[in-house]
Amino acid sequence: MTRVLVVDDEPQIRRALSINLRARGYSVDLAASGEEALSLAASNHPDVVLLDLGLPGLDGIDVVRGLRGWSTIPVIVLSVRDAEADKVAALDAGADDYVTKPFGMDELLARLRAAVRRHQPVPEQASVETPDFVIDLTSKKAYVRGEDVHLTPTEWSLVEVLVRNPGRLVTQRQLLQQVWGPQYERETNYLRVYMAQVRRKLEPHPSMPRYFITEPGMGYRFEPGMAVPDA
Amino acid sequence: MARGTLRVYLGAAPGVGKTYAMLDEGWRRNQRGTDVAIGMVLTHGRKNTEAQLRDLEIVPTKKIRYRDADFEEMDVAAVLARNPRVCLVDEYAHTNVPGSIHEKRWQDVEDLLEAGIDVISTLNIQHLESVNDVITRITGVVQRETVPDAVVRRADQIELVDMSPEALRRRMAHGNIYPPERVDAALSNYFRPGNLGALRELALLWVADRVEESLHDYLAAHGIEDTWETRERVVVAVTGLPTDETLVRRAARMAGRLRGDLVAVHVEAGDGLAARPGTDLHGIRKLVGELGGRYDEVVGEDVASVLAQYARAEKATQLVLGETHHPRRRLLPQRSTTAAILRESVGIDIHVIAHEDAGAGARPAFGRVPRFARLSARRQGVAFAFVVLGLPLLAAVLTQLRDHLGLPADLLLFLAAVVGIAAVGGLLPGLAGALVGSILANWYFVPPIHTLTIDDADNATALVVFVAVAVTVAVLVDRAAKRTTEAVRARSEAEVVARTASSLVGEPDPLPVLLEQLRTTFSVRAVAVLAGKEDAWTCTASAGSPAPTSPEDGLAVPLGRDDSVLVLAGSQLALEDHRMLRTFADQVAVALEATSLRAEAAEAAVLSQATVLRTAILQSVSHDLRTPLASIKASVSSLLQPDVAWSESDRQLFLTTITTETDRLNRVVGNLLDMSRLQSGAISPNVRPVGLEEVVASALANLSGLPDSVVVEVPETLPPVLVDPALIERAIANVVSNAVAWSPPGKVVRVEAAAVLDRLHLQVIDQGPGIRPEMRDRVFEPFQRLGDQSNDSGAGLGLAVARGFVEALGGRISLDDTPGGGLTVTIELPIALEAA
Repeated sequence: MTRVLVVDDEPQIRRALSINLRARGYSVDLAASGEEALSLAASNHPDVVLLDLGLPGLDGIDVVRGLRGWSTIPVIVLSVRDAEADKVAALDAGADDYVTKPFGMDELLARLRAAVRRHQPVPEQASVETPDFVIDLTSKKAYVRGEDVHLTPTEWSLVEVLVRNPGRLVTQRQLLQQVWGPQYERETNYLRVYMAQVRRKLEPHPSMPRYFITEPGMGYRFEPGMAVPDA
Repeated sequence: MARGTLRVYLGAAPGVGKTYAMLDEGWRRNQRGTDVAIGMVLTHGRKNTEAQLRDLEIVPTKKIRYRDADFEEMDVAAVLARNPRVCLVDEYAHTNVPGSIHEKRWQDVEDLLEAGIDVISTLNIQHLESVNDVITRITGVVQRETVPDAVVRRADQIELVDMSPEALRRRMAHGNIYPPERVDAALSNYFRPGNLGALRELALLWVADRVEESLHDYLAAHGIEDTWETRERVVVAVTGLPTDETLVRRAARMAGRLRGDLVAVHVEAGDGLAARPGTDLHGIRKLVGELGGRYDEVVGEDVASVLAQYARAEKATQLVLGETHHPRRRLLPQRSTTAAILRESVGIDIHVIAHEDAGAGARPAFGRVPRFARLSARRQGVAFAFVVLGLPLLAAVLTQLRDHLGLPADLLLFLAAVVGIAAVGGLLPGLAGALVGSILANWYFVPPIHTLTIDDADNATALVVFVAVAVTVAVLVDRAAKRTTEAVRARSEAEVVARTASSLVGEPDPLPVLLEQLRTTFSVRAVAVLAGKEDAWTCTASAGSPAPTSPEDGLAVPLGRDDSVLVLAGSQLALEDHRMLRTFADQVAVALEATSLRAEAAEAAVLSQATVLRTAILQSVSHDLRTPLASIKASVSSLLQPDVAWSESDRQLFLTTITTETDRLNRVVGNLLDMSRLQSGAISPNVRPVGLEEVVASALANLSGLPDSVVVEVPETLPPVLVDPALIERAIANVVSNAVAWSPPGKVVRVEAAAVLDRLHLQVIDQGPGIRPEMRDRVFEPFQRLGDQSNDSGAGLGLAVARGFVEALGGRISLDDTPGGGLTVTIELPIALEAA
């Protein structure tokens, strides 16, 4: 059973999350402050952390840093709409993904699942299917409505990275380094151009993408769009 | 064969009606019996132009295939074979497709002209080579097809087809120039009022140049020498004095205002006597060059007439001269050069520029008393000399005439002399003259002569009266002179006060002007108003430099108003001037009062506006927050009712309502928060280079029900913009949701982007009702809703927030008509430059 640590100073949020997660088979620990979170994380060893950034006392970002000091446990931060800078700072400090309050439960659960999956070795997927296209990872072919679509090697690498991390935010830097190489960090223009090409080939509405989503200034996310069996 | 005539219709922009005019003329000539044929015409699908074709014959065009595409070009050979009297050829600057005889259409036209065919053609101002770079800078569009100016100027007639920018934009808005689909960001930018106005001005100026040129030829042909004021030309006469620089700059400014030429001329007197030492003409020549003018040197003896002749020859419309100083040493005023020039230059405006240096250290500017009123030392000296030399001389002369003139005559003559001395020299010489005169008269003419005794009582009386009259005259003259001085002074003081009073009333901020007037009037180096106490003075306003920083730095005059002091530094003031200074100081105090009152009034206005806004906010917030809350409450309380068993579909309905209304409430709160952040200045954007298409996609993802009603064309090949992605995303989302809300069913909203100069223009184009020009500013006010579309979820804040965010990022947002009807919102954002 997957263990989740929920950190939020709002009792209603804690309650809502706790009920939902338990209903879906997760085991839940609750913390109301940053200090409590760190100590619970150390003693109970959760598999994933849901962390509110607006904590009193020890700041959410410091909690992330604290956790990262000794663990690579996946961390999803809950942030408020106008605190964009905090979100970016949290991601830079080592958080894996974010959800903006107020959030829908399904969105949160999807990201949670995605974050957990990263940590559990998953049998290699042979293919990814969506209502609009199919990607065959073993034979390196893509089909849009049955027709074979040609992707260049770079486009393939991009697609592969994103598709193997469904629902997860892959930062620009991670993507650049995995597709082009370790010394690539700031060439976000490459990403723009290639992602646009990928979208033109695979998305039904290339300028309003449903699957290959950009989080401007942060990174990219592949949304499979279909319910995936959960933990 | 005589060469044919070329007539060109020149326009400032596409759509002004050049082709229309060309066809119109062609048809009229045709009706009058001339053989007219169309060599090449492009109607661009404009109905009115097509209608003008009427039944004019069109010579079939040549079809050329080039790189898998078909092109049509004028068939020159066919036109030559057809040999009409007049041929209409559109688009003079057109470049022919490779495979044609000539590279350019104007070369084709040359062939026609050589064959004796008259040609009428059309041209846009942007095609002219000489203005090509200017136009690129104005419009941001690089124009590739150009025609050398010389070729166009060779035309026999150039006719300007003019249309006001507003009329042109209306045509554009009605879709009469381009079909609505073709109008993209670059084209809209081209047709902005500012651009159109500039292009029109360029076209008019270019044609005017032409006019001037023809005028020259006409005048030369008819030997007319009169000045003809079509184009302004400012001629400034420089003399080599230091004041020339001011003069030249003034003249240059004048030329700039009149959009005319600047010419500087120096008259070198032929005999070399007029050249003064220390002339610096080289510096002036350089300055004139820098200001874009011409420098000339002319030789002649009579400066005035040479200058006048030069001005006429240059067809000057304005002549600028410096005030000539009268050298003090002359008793008779010199006939001034200025007056002479005035006489000889009829038809030219003459400007005599005063020299600005009142000069620090010179005497104060007012109280300049006319020469004859002041009893200068010179005058007194002259009078004394006359007393010492003239009176004895008179005595000697009269002694010779003793036989012919009696005592009365002698005395009267002496009296006349002494009165004259008193008139010239005043009291002291007058008294001296009276004394010396009476002694001389007594010695030489009153019996017994050669003694100072007087025998006769008559003679004694005469002598006494003589002395009395002389003294009286002396006193009167002296007093008259003093009175004149006082009167002049009083009048100039009154003038100064009147001037300062009028500036108090006229200027919104009179204090600096007043201080500057003070400075020049009293000829001090610097003037300042200081406020505060000992050792802690702050300067409220000052003129001249270096400004005094404490009352010790100069003469201090308290202003009687919360510790303010007026300080004059740099010159000594005479006692009489102190009264004047006091008056001035009072004026300064009044100006201070006025300034502070104005500031208070402005604050009050801002406060009242804030109150109005607060009221609007309260009303709006109340409505927009409570509405979704009411729906949520209704749905939830329904579900909680214990006595009803809801069907599954009803449940779903309630639950969906709750979700939707919650989202709506979230948006309203978000907008309110954004608005309050904007108003409190709490926006600190986090800018970085972002691809616009990604931001647009993100913005649209958050709006519901979109895919089919919005068409997005933002290529990823555009350079990235330097923005805060979160802010710009919300701005774009607000603008698009507004457009979608107003878009009628069946019509799409287009989102397009293009690079224009150093910015990216993002356009959100709807085909809804649009917004009238007078309402456009109001739309950006918070809590405004046009009509009663009260169903949007923004509390009327959407566009206000959008503008606030865009401007916080250094961009601009503007509203325009969509061609064919609707509103186009243009957001301009700075392009992120590549890091070096």
